[in-house]
Amino acid sequence: MARLWGRIVDGLGALGSITIAGLMALIVADVIARNFFNVTIPVVAEIGALSVVMILFLQLATTVAHNRMARTEFFVHAIERRSPRAAGVIEGVYDLLGATACGLIAWSTVGVLAKDLKAHEFIGVLGVFTLPVWPFRILIIVGVTAATLHYLMRGIARILNLGPKAA
Amino acid sequence: TEEIDLTIASSHPLVVPWVGMIKSVFMEEVDKKLAETGDYKINWNEAFGGQLYKANATLTSVEEGITDLGWVFSYLEGAKMPLSQVAGYTPFTTNDAPKLLDTMTELMETNEAFRNEWEQYNLVFLGATAADDYDLYTNFPINSLDDLKGRKISAPGILSSWLRGLDATAVDGALTTYYTDIQTGVSEGTLSIALGILPTKVYEVAPYITRVNAGVVFSGGLAINKDTWDSLPEEVQNAMIEAGLIYSKKHGVDLMERHEGALNKMVEIGKDQNPPVTITPLPQAERQKWVEGMPNIAADWAAEAEAKGIPARDFLKAYMEGLKERGETPQRDWTEGL
Amino acid sequence: MSPFEIGSAAILVLLVLIYIGVPIGVGMLIVSMVAVAEMRGFTVALRMIGAVANDSTREYLFAVVPLFVLMGLLVTISGVGRDTFDFFERLLRNVRAGLGIATVFANAVFASITGISIASASVFARVAVPEMIRHGYSPRFATGVVAGSSVLGMLIPPSLLMIIYAVLAEESVGRMFIAGILPGLVLSIAYAAMIYAMAHLRPNLVFRSGRDTRPGDLDGADPRLHVMRRGLPIVSLVVLVLGGLYTGWFNPTEAGAVGAFGALVIALLRRSMSGRDFWRVLVETGQVTVSVLFLVMAATFFSRMLALSGVPRTIADGLLSGGLGPYGFLIIYIALLVAMGCLIDSISIMLILLPIAIPVAEAAGFDMIWFGVITVVGVEIGLLTPPFGLSVYTIKAALDDPDLSIKDIFLGAGPFVLAMLVVLAILVAFPALSTYLAYL
Ligand code: NA
Ligand code: NA
Repeated sequence: MARLWGRIVDGLGALGSITIAGLMALIVADVIARNFFNVTIPVVAEIGALSVVMILFLQLATTVAHNRMARTEFFVHAIERRSPRAAGVIEGVYDLLGATACGLIAWSTVGVLAKDLKAHEFIGVLGVFTLPVWPFRILIIVGVTAATLHYLMRGIARILNLGPKAA
Repeated sequence: TEEIDLTIASSHPLVVPWVGMIKSVFMEEVDKKLAETGDYKINWNEAFGGQLYKANATLTSVEEGITDLGWVFSYLEGAKMPLSQVAGYTPFTTNDAPKLLDTMTELMETNEAFRNEWEQYNLVFLGATAADDYDLYTNFPINSLDDLKGRKISAPGILSSWLRGLDATAVDGALTTYYTDIQTGVSEGTLSIALGILPTKVYEVAPYITRVNAGVVFSGGLAINKDTWDSLPEEVQNAMIEAGLIYSKKHGVDLMERHEGALNKMVEIGKDQNPPVTITPLPQAERQKWVEGMPNIAADWAAEAEAKGIPARDFLKAYMEGLKERGETPQRDWTEGL
Repeated sequence: MSPFEIGSAAILVLLVLIYIGVPIGVGMLIVSMVAVAEMRGFTVALRMIGAVANDSTREYLFAVVPLFVLMGLLVTISGVGRDTFDFFERLLRNVRAGLGIATVFANAVFASITGISIASASVFARVAVPEMIRHGYSPRFATGVVAGSSVLGMLIPPSLLMIIYAVLAEESVGRMFIAGILPGLVLSIAYAAMIYAMAHLRPNLVFRSGRDTRPGDLDGADPRLHVMRRGLPIVSLVVLVLGGLYTGWFNPTEAGAVGAFGALVIALLRRSMSGRDFWRVLVETGQVTVSVLFLVMAATFFSRMLALSGVPRTIADGLLSGGLGPYGFLIIYIALLVAMGCLIDSISIMLILLPIAIPVAEAAGFDMIWFGVITVVGVEIGLLTPPFGLSVYTIKAALDDPDLSIKDIFLGAGPFVLAMLVVLAILVAFPALSTYLAYL
């Protein structure tokens, strides 16, 4: 179960990694097309902008899992030296705060998705080239939901002391 | 005296004329009217200049009550506000901002589809805004349209469509990137507005100004969240409606003056640079050739909107009619073949 | 509570949360959520967090974050970073503490192709630190040099911080970039002078044994050939990125993509990277990117919450009408930059402070290019100061050596913080250093 979850998180991260590589390729292609063939690839800037949001949320869960979120550690370390158990509970509480923040984002983004669908929200220019926004939005929701679940499971595990490095 | 707390916000800073006038005209007028009876007083919490949201969220922020009042940049809301794009799809129709704003304000009252386009987003429209006339700012002189062949021109979004039929390449970007883009050769000029070019100093790198007079466009308007609106006493509502009309009117006149002022200022500041800033009018025959060489982007736009059940054809006709009634003579009849 | 009180309380609560180790982004989101709910109700707060998450990083400009990180990591793995270091190492091998000075100048060159300091820190932690330790430098000093010189990455163009400043202050990105060149050189020279002086006056701080064991000739190859082979990749990258930028092939956002692509090509040509390595680099890029962008998003929510509360406007009014005068304001502003730098990251500081400070600075009649350079140097001090110093954490993560504590690196970076303060004073005193090239 834990391994399956780990794979899901890594898989989403991989999707984000592919997005980064794709973004690089797309921009380089646009630079070449503009300078050598005097044409531009439509909506590169808008796709690039949306990709940034996608990368952020697709890789959020794996970043959380690898403890890469910026924070100060001296306080928790000081507690840990006296009582590892207490430090575990504190870390668990922080995880639950993370789950709350990410959960609120996921919830409200569902509302944003509903609006996208209703308004047929797109990027680009009508009559030239357009792309619907909703597929991007669904990926964002999936990513931030995965981060929420990861925070939640790790927080519970830490508070219940199911191994301090659980999940 | 009852005090009312209201947050008023914008994506753009106060130095942008129509944002500045929200404070100097709209808020002033409201305060003045309310002071006449002294029953109510508004405590404005000002959050101008993108403190609350950026240009990509002007509509949703008022809709959702993140701010009570705000300037809605409908020009950037092509998907949610298709009818509000009408001026962008009908270039070379009018160069008169007061007449454009007057027409849009009237349509807001008479055209149900247009009014609904705003009101469905939980907001009440208070005053219309426009962008000043579009001209070419380039680093090479333009005597005829042929000079634009093979050139890279910064023209993002709908403006890229204005270049169709010219054999010029439209380059993406934004007012804040034009300077660097032209300086470095990413583009060789831009199709833009004097009020945007003056503060960003683009004339330093693109000193050849060709007055195309391609048209003024409707950019959006000042709006208030409907829930907030419903909570306001009638006296305050009336004060805001009146202040909104004054705001639109003064903004239209101001825009025309500022446009000329900005062009003159560029020539004056740029007279010692090499080459100096010069303004050349594009001959009328060339303007006609430009607009006739374009595909009918208005018809294409209307057809796409109609396919989604939006009565864009009737609205387009009403828009062109409204401008003609006010004495404007469009360079091209965009309703042809509808 | 009035909005103003809510906003002020939110700032205090956030400081406590950061201190007790709540992830900074999470702390900002939670505090802002509660404060906005208190001011305008839960529904508005919920919509606002959704808007922030979906809109605040939806900016083509932010695409530079993953792309610059990617370029930095590719440069490490392709060995280009190492070569640059080797080049200066050879050049300075007869100078006392030459390796330390070589690290500074290699960083200055590397800075001209990367836009973020964490890339510089991770590259040179792996390249220069082991080399310095091997030659008798104390680990504390070796890591301090790398931390200190990593700030050059965002002072010498291209620079993410300059881009963010340019957007907030509505200045031209190109002009801000150029403005950073001379201050970057001044800081490099100040560092080099300080290292040289320390090696002579207080060698115990620099070397484990109290003296320099200089590297001899590493191999017998023709030095000229050696320089060519070592120098070619980095020079081609610099030419590609800077040349492309200033001849108009691409804009600053695109420079990140082109540079990353160039580094990828070099890595492939030198056969120094397998497909698996490339994948690892992409994953690492993603995680660094997320930790930065998540902070950007959370800080945006925090600053919007503050705008609703009216706190920034009141403070700005207070600073202006307090009779401080322009230079009184500047001193308080720099003190705020440095103080906040202890706790939060550079981008968040700029997003929080600049909307308040820019109108004040404009009213004071400051040159906004100069003010931008002061701002960037000021916030970059925070990269080196405890408890939250991003460059220091990056070096710790890159070295992965349990014997080397965070505290040692912070102590090692201490002299460089002092040098930055001195250079900051010089830049304040001589605005031309920042403005001369920019207005040329
Ligand atoms: Na740099
Ligand atoms: Na710090």
